[in-house]
Amino acid sequence: MIDTGYALGVIAAMALVTFALRALPFVAAQWLNQHALARALGEFLPLAIMTLLLVHSLTGAALEHPTGPWPELLAVSLVVLVQWRSRNPLLSIVVGTSLYVLMRNFG
Amino acid sequence: MTEHQILPSDRAPAQFSVLALTAPVAMGYIPLGAVFGFLFVQAGGDWWLAMVASLLVYAGASQFMMIPMLAAGLPLGTIALATLIVNSRHVFYGLSLMNRLPASWSLRWYMVFALTDETYSLLTTLPGATSPRQMALLAALNHSWWVLGSVAGAAIGAQAHIALAGLDFVLAALFAVLTVEQWRSRKSSVPLWVALAAYALAYPLAARHALVISIALSIVAGLLWQARSPAGADDD
Repeated sequence: MIDTGYALGVIAAMALVTFALRALPFVAAQWLNQHALARALGEFLPLAIMTLLLVHSLTGAALEHPTGPWPELLAVSLVVLVQWRSRNPLLSIVVGTSLYVLMRNFG
Repeated sequence: MTEHQILPSDRAPAQFSVLALTAPVAMGYIPLGAVFGFLFVQAGGDWWLAMVASLLVYAGASQFMMIPMLAAGLPLGTIALATLIVNSRHVFYGLSLMNRLPASWSLRWYMVFALTDETYSLLTTLPGATSPRQMALLAALNHSWWVLGSVAGAAIGAQAHIALAGLDFVLAALFAVLTVEQWRSRKSSVPLWVALAAYALAYPLAARHALVISIALSIVAGLLWQARSPAGADDD
């Protein structure tokens, strides 16, 4: 069970950070435009972080199977392929998750 | 949430309906919000906390990210930092909308709060003559789809005992979708390789803290990478 007080604290912190980011350009437009470093990190980090979140969300399940992480690799490849071609997040997620659930339960 | 095209490019009639404009967003937000609510409850959170999160945080990727982090009991500061990084792209949305937002104080700040990827892309496609109230209505409708979906998903999650293994793959699938979209708009593929290397380094060291360690390594690498190519200013 997730502790309610802790969860509320996390939600409040995340809400503040997200709002601050969305509000920043309205209070500090010039500063942002002048700081190449802030911009460069803004370009570098999102792809790195998404890659990390993807890998991290898979390692738990992937390292459990005695036969190797094939279900995870196959399902993620399918999601990437469908998303690359279709640009439809919902379709990609449903197709990939269905394949994964099928492999895990009936494979 | 994700940076895909919601509107067919040829749809910009003079007499548009705000409700029609948000329909594609509803079709994305309600199911995705439901997935968030469902996973949140399944991870051990109360249903109303999922609703509060969607109401107050209202940022898809970081809300999904918060589930494993909450379940693992990570320190508040770590989660705040991860939120800062994942949502940093939002900083650049406001710049292009600066002069178009409502003059009214409360409407203006509500819109700033509600600037998700999808709302941003809809707002930028609106005709110049759109009234501030219509812009705010659009933002509020999108917000309510997200909250509605989260509550529905949390309600289902509170009832259901999942019989199927592997449903939590939706989270990985969502991250894969976001990675693809980041990759599509990348200026360099270095961040992806840096992230993979950082994780490969961090995992054997401390599997439980691999995410935090590899995020920190990526930040350091990003700073070094920028310092090595000080041309940051020449890209525009």
